[in-house]
Amino acid sequence: MARVRLENITKRYGEETAVDGISLEVEDGEFVTFVGPSGCGKSTTMETVAGLTRPTEGRVYIGDDDVTDLAPKDRGVAMVFQNIALFPHMDVYENISFGLRLRKYDDEEVRRRVEQAADIVQLEDMLERMPAEMSGGQQQRVGIARAIVRNPDVFLMDEPLANLDAKLRVHMRTELQRLHRELDATVIYVTHDQAEAMTMSNRIAVLNDGTLQQIAPPLVCYNEPTNLFVAGFIGSPSMNFADGTLTEDGLETNNFTVALDATQVPGVTVGDDVTLGIRPEDVYLTRDADSLAAPTATITARSDVLEPMGDEMFVYLLLSERADSSMEQDPSTSSDQLLMSVSPDTAIEAGQELELVLDRSKIHLFETETSDALVHGVTDLSQRESGTTPTEADS
Amino acid sequence: MTDTQSRTETDDTAVFDDAQNAELDRGPFQQWAADSIENPERVYRAMFYVAAIFFLFTTLFPFYWLLMVALTPEGQLQDIVFTPNGFNPGAFVEVFQTIPFHWYMFNSFVIALASTVLVLIIGSLAGYAFGRLEFPGKVPLMLLVLVISFFPPAAFFIPLNDLFNTSFFLLEPITGDGTLYNTPGAMVLPLSAIFMPLAIFILTTFYAQIPDGLEDAARVEGTTRLGALFRVIIPLSAPGVATAGVLTFIAVYNEFFFSFLMTDGQPENWAPILEGILAYQGQYEVLYHLMAAASIIGVIPVAILVVIAQEKIVSGLTAGALKE
Repeated sequence: MARVRLENITKRYGEETAVDGISLEVEDGEFVTFVGPSGCGKSTTMETVAGLTRPTEGRVYIGDDDVTDLAPKDRGVAMVFQNIALFPHMDVYENISFGLRLRKYDDEEVRRRVEQAADIVQLEDMLERMPAEMSGGQQQRVGIARAIVRNPDVFLMDEPLANLDAKLRVHMRTELQRLHRELDATVIYVTHDQAEAMTMSNRIAVLNDGTLQQIAPPLVCYNEPTNLFVAGFIGSPSMNFADGTLTEDGLETNNFTVALDATQVPGVTVGDDVTLGIRPEDVYLTRDADSLAAPTATITARSDVLEPMGDEMFVYLLLSERADSSMEQDPSTSSDQLLMSVSPDTAIEAGQELELVLDRSKIHLFETETSDALVHGVTDLSQRESGTTPTEADS
Repeated sequence: MTDTQSRTETDDTAVFDDAQNAELDRGPFQQWAADSIENPERVYRAMFYVAAIFFLFTTLFPFYWLLMVALTPEGQLQDIVFTPNGFNPGAFVEVFQTIPFHWYMFNSFVIALASTVLVLIIGSLAGYAFGRLEFPGKVPLMLLVLVISFFPPAAFFIPLNDLFNTSFFLLEPITGDGTLYNTPGAMVLPLSAIFMPLAIFILTTFYAQIPDGLEDAARVEGTTRLGALFRVIIPLSAPGVATAGVLTFIAVYNEFFFSFLMTDGQPENWAPILEGILAYQGQYEVLYHLMAAASIIGVIPVAILVVIAQEKIVSGLTAGALKE
């Protein structure tokens, strides 16, 4: 097992920059997930760790060694591929033992380790089968066995579950977590599925446009996103955003004002453009907001579309009369819409006028121009607010 | 009720028969034309058989005649049409007694096999580069390879012959006098070069189809790029490699120009089958029956090879064709 350190990794393909100066460190035994939309450079970054792609600039370290110029086979890494990539002309035993046989282990040792690996992924009875005779999940388990059998320093997993059906994916997710615990291995995992990222990782590295946006434990990425991209990408459904301007009274958006002391917001001054972010679960009906320590002033809105999901219900809200109910508008990008999640038995009908409050402790402010986060939670910035939340104004 | 019904049916049939009889009034050719219009598949099938029989006849009749000539005793070659003029199967043994024909065959085998191996190794490397790598000048380079295959071999002959007759100090330990003339190298080198482009094209198409992930997996598991080529890409492209190999082998085995000119015709100097067959032709007599027998013997190995490999060759050639 070993640490992995990336130092200013840049990869250009001609004019295109796929990865732009990524530096990060993965601790020994840590499970780090690279997550981001398609084409964000997460796979390319992993390939530079594997040695399949040579970075244009920057160095890769595994353990204490600079492996930038080493061939993939000499790096002590094993990889699980999205398209599984089993050798179709070899049976399961030959597939799993491929790396060991190349390294000239004696037959006895090879058999012992293959059986052990097959045991871990529960494939003991299938060593004689050809890959074509197996289901997708079984094939991917062979792929994982092929990776663990060599006992590598670092596991690289490139969307290993992407080609499996939904049920199997959830099952394999727990399998991988169990495996990580058992092997105590350093794992770098690439996915565009943020549910996988949230559930499996010690830390998430969020990538966009070839740059590292944030690397932090899942809940930190969720609760304290460093910028608008991370805020919008992590969490499903994604965070609501409302563009506004900082005034003497607070943050004024097109449809509502959140009272706060503009001078207390670090990094910006009155008159600057600030984007407010609030997650759907932090929007409350005023009548249910008693338990809230720090609600904002009431906002009126009209419910538009209801989406009962079983365990919760999503309510699409229109904040102004101007807003039309066209479904193309994404509440996370339109300042006139808001998405709220409530308990499924809440009595709400489509087209109803509603009174809402936001949980001040869960409001995120971002500088609109740079998209960087300014502050998470505005509970302490409320001195100037008066009237609607007198308790806070007093404190 | 039943009676009426059956009578009606009979009546209908009668009417139908009348129509049939009306058709019969036409001449046989008109009849055939009418049938063909109604049922064009029959014509196509007939055309297929005519064409197939024509090609089979033109291909196989020379062999048949070769056999007849071989079986005819010496000096009785007149009046052979469909049967031999006498019966002398001993010619197939005489072939080896008159000259060491087996030696010529061995030479041809070695030359064809060496060329095939050389072509497959170099062609694989080129096919890998053309099929799986991106590099500047890839298309022009590939066209250049193609263009070279169009050159007439005669264009190379004089410079090559001059080169192969030049003494090289380095070659002395291998070839004695330091020249390539009268060695297998004098045929393997130019023939490999000439038949290389076809092999490169076939292999490029095949290697390009192997998913990148498999090569990546092999490289992470512990092979070099070259190791991945030999352990994963080539085994998975077996039909393509077989096709390229068989085509090269046959082409070299059958080759005339360099085979005729690059040795002095002596079996100990690596003269191939061609020279062996021509060796039955003396200054005063030509042993046609032995030439024919030797030709048949020479064809047999290739025929066997094609029969064994034909399935792979067909799948190999069409797999390439279907790709684009």
